[in-house]
Amino acid sequence: MTETPDRDLRLPAETLMTEPIGEDVLPVEEDSAARPGKRRRNRGQLEDIWHRYKKNKLAMVGLIMVGLLILIAVLAPLISPYDPTQQNLLNTIEPPTADHWFGTDTLGRDVFSMMLYGLRLALLVGVGTMLGSLVIGVTVGAVAGYFGRGWDSLLMRVTDIFLAFPYLIGAIVIVRSIDPGQTEGAWPVAVALIILGWTTTARLMRGQVLSLRESEYVEAARSIGASPRRIVIRHVLPNAIAPVLVYAFTSIGVAVVAMASLSFLGVGVGIETPEWGQMISQGFKNFGVPNTSYLWIFPSIAIIITTLAFAFVSDGLRDSLDPKLR
Amino acid sequence: MGKFIIRRLAQAVLVIVAAMLLLFVALFTIGDPFASSGDKVVPPETQAALRAKFGLDRPLPMQFLVYLRNLFTGDLGIDFDQRREVSEMLAQAVPYTIRLAAVAIVIDILIGITAGVIAAVWRYSVWDVLVTILTTLAIGVPTFVIGLSLRATVSGEWFFPAVPRSAFGPEPFWLAEVLLPAITLAVVDAAFIARLMRGSMLEIMRADYVRTARAKGLSERKVIGKHVMRNSVIPVVTYVGIGIGVLLGGALITETIFQYQGVGFLLYKAILSNNNPIIMAVSAFAVITFVTLSLVVDVLYAYLDPRIRLS
Amino acid sequence: MASVDDLDIDLDSSAPLLEVRDLRVHFVTDRGVVKAVDGVSWMVNEGETLAIVGESGSGKSVSAMTILGLIQSPPATFPSGDIFLRGKSLMKMPEKQQRKLRGREIAMIFQDPLTALNPVFRVGDQIAEMVRNHQKVSKVVARRRALDLLGEVGIPNPAVRLNQYPHEFSGGMRQRAMIAMALANDPQVLLADEPTTALDVTVQAQIMALLVKLQEDRNTAIVLITHDLGVVASHADRINVMYAGRIVEAGTTDEIFYEPRHAYTFGLLSSLARMDHRRQERLTPIKGVPPSLANVPPGCPFHPRCRFATEACVVAVPRLETVSGNGHLAACVHSDQVGMANEERLAQ
Repeated sequence: MTETPDRDLRLPAETLMTEPIGEDVLPVEEDSAARPGKRRRNRGQLEDIWHRYKKNKLAMVGLIMVGLLILIAVLAPLISPYDPTQQNLLNTIEPPTADHWFGTDTLGRDVFSMMLYGLRLALLVGVGTMLGSLVIGVTVGAVAGYFGRGWDSLLMRVTDIFLAFPYLIGAIVIVRSIDPGQTEGAWPVAVALIILGWTTTARLMRGQVLSLRESEYVEAARSIGASPRRIVIRHVLPNAIAPVLVYAFTSIGVAVVAMASLSFLGVGVGIETPEWGQMISQGFKNFGVPNTSYLWIFPSIAIIITTLAFAFVSDGLRDSLDPKLR
Repeated sequence: MGKFIIRRLAQAVLVIVAAMLLLFVALFTIGDPFASSGDKVVPPETQAALRAKFGLDRPLPMQFLVYLRNLFTGDLGIDFDQRREVSEMLAQAVPYTIRLAAVAIVIDILIGITAGVIAAVWRYSVWDVLVTILTTLAIGVPTFVIGLSLRATVSGEWFFPAVPRSAFGPEPFWLAEVLLPAITLAVVDAAFIARLMRGSMLEIMRADYVRTARAKGLSERKVIGKHVMRNSVIPVVTYVGIGIGVLLGGALITETIFQYQGVGFLLYKAILSNNNPIIMAVSAFAVITFVTLSLVVDVLYAYLDPRIRLS
Repeated sequence: MASVDDLDIDLDSSAPLLEVRDLRVHFVTDRGVVKAVDGVSWMVNEGETLAIVGESGSGKSVSAMTILGLIQSPPATFPSGDIFLRGKSLMKMPEKQQRKLRGREIAMIFQDPLTALNPVFRVGDQIAEMVRNHQKVSKVVARRRALDLLGEVGIPNPAVRLNQYPHEFSGGMRQRAMIAMALANDPQVLLADEPTTALDVTVQAQIMALLVKLQEDRNTAIVLITHDLGVVASHADRINVMYAGRIVEAGTTDEIFYEPRHAYTFGLLSSLARMDHRRQERLTPIKGVPPSLANVPPGCPFHPRCRFATEACVVAVPRLETVSGNGHLAACVHSDQVGMANEERLAQ
């Protein structure tokens, strides 16, 4: 659906088919067998995907950025010059200096160190939410799609109910009911985001399974007496999973932004936890005070970099998994 | 068509009731509002009396029914802080949010569809690349960062009234007040709509019936403007339906940033002051609005696509 | 007959109705140049049915769509050739004038009537749109015309059908609606691209009968593009056989069916089951698949699949030459051997 800007702008052969020409006119698609010297058939599917992914510059930039972010998050304790929770009430809201590269916050903590730990937390919650939603969503979606009928309508009505909550508002309600005192750290946020996030995965998965269930190779597997479990795991899942995985990857960025939004609004992690939304909210509360904009600008940049990195990767993944969608 | 609407309506009511049950369980039964202040502040016997007064000693299903009845008769309880009817406070804030959301939707549909159409019709052109870059950025940058940046740079200047707005003095002109938050709110949706529109136009443009339209000798303008557009907006309408949920969440953030007197800002203040009745009321309002608007969008969708309407 | 408003394009009524001369349509792709149509010439006159026969990918649809100006450039290029309607070049005509002819003098019906009709507009409105695009008439008049047309193409209950959507029509009905739309302005030429391929066999016959009847009423020229020799046999006056973007044989229907002189035509006929033969003859399929148009074999493009092929076939592309008196042409080095093999086949 979306193009990355620096993709090769020459017309690929597929786009020819988009012009108003009958599908039967140009048999360029079927001729790979007739073309000698192409190893296409011999390459594995994964290799094929990687081959297409590599050609996408923006996606590669995203991948490198994600790699760096993970590295920084892992090495945070080594890199950070200060303990991010160490308060110093004698040195609060100090703009960037040689000692404190990104300044200090309202409690005198070192903003740079807080950002490193904030990255750690963001990635943990982002990936945790993604995995949780993926497991629940894929299971529910596969059951609803494959067994159909009663299961399907029951599970889909359940997703309807969860989908009735606007994301952020639902998350506020859930986090406040799990952790009214804001003492539990970040896990209630992750739980809330999973509770609200699995439904989309489930629906995607269900749609995929529904269409695959009627496909000929599943029919064939059924006719030789394969068990439903085996059919779902061996035949349906691997073919249904691609768009689901792309969505899951996108949802990491969504979760990162959601956690920051929640703490910006004062829900979720408490003030003692170094977290980007929390930090931005400090900046917001000091709006109008001179020389304080660094308080929200640095963590904002961190969020933008993180979400863009994941967005580039998921866009690249989508394009390379399904080249027809370009 | 009538049957479709009735079935969809019944479904919406069921979903709302179930969602209210979840809300009720989440906000009212897990935390006991009177125990949370502690025995020393409110003596146990007072707590018991209060529970009896507010019906909290009754069995849960009964409580829920009472709560539902109150909800649908417009009784949303009393605000702890200001000792005002919650329904009254909500009624005051709702028009602001409607205004904000309406302006935002108009902006994002106009910009999103225009950008998507341009990118699709002139595919691979500079404009297409530009739209791609801008939408990627717009989707990557969280709403609150956009809002904070706008407030830090533009707000308080020429057209846009100063934030926070003064409690005294004249009420600012509504459009001036709503414009910055609406732009903030519209950015992400506009980007999504642009991408969606571009993708769906590109797909429709290779449809056989578009070829037929050209074979009729229609001008390119008519081919695109009538045959392609009418089919391409269908997925956009669906998205706008889903996007309303995102919009409501976004309204919460933008209203907070611009201290705009809508429902979102009301909720923000309630969160800061731990004010459950308002949180409850706003959440219920958000759910009911969201479900209702989705219903409207579904009907609109059926209207746009006769294949759905008649099956 | 119809009140089509004046056309400010001067057409020469003594010139052939539609003539295609040495047309080439190439597409530049990253896999090479796809020569979809590579030097094709033919003409058709009023009341006549010319069939263009070939496998998918032989360039037959592209040539039809080029006539209507539906091939966009880029990616297409037109290295040579021209198309004349009554002596007037369509390729040199500005797009605006071409558009006036499209749907009015030259109309087209397509293979799949479900996807060829816009799903979100009523069938009647889509026909009326065709009328109003070329005639200055009110909406009411255009709708009445649409109603008449639906009746004329044999759709029962046209007043009701007028207000229905394409998906409420059956396949055959949809194709009838497409035909009604194509004939709305009484065009002189009707391009029918696989008009019956997507339909049931019984419906196919009805649609062909309808086309014949409408042709007789209006003296329309029909260019029938198909891969189905069966359809061609009973309805075409003349046949062009296309292979890999070129015409390999051209002649009257009788000549093509009873005296084929190109190995490809001969192969097609040998692979066709015939109802009028008492004895079960052996069907000989053509081996292999049509070549990619991006990678056409040198010489005669058919030689890798041809049972008559010799080295002479690889050296140069055979020219289309007269093989018998009245305009029967074939581009085959071995047209004589083919002729003899055919006599043996018929003698069986």
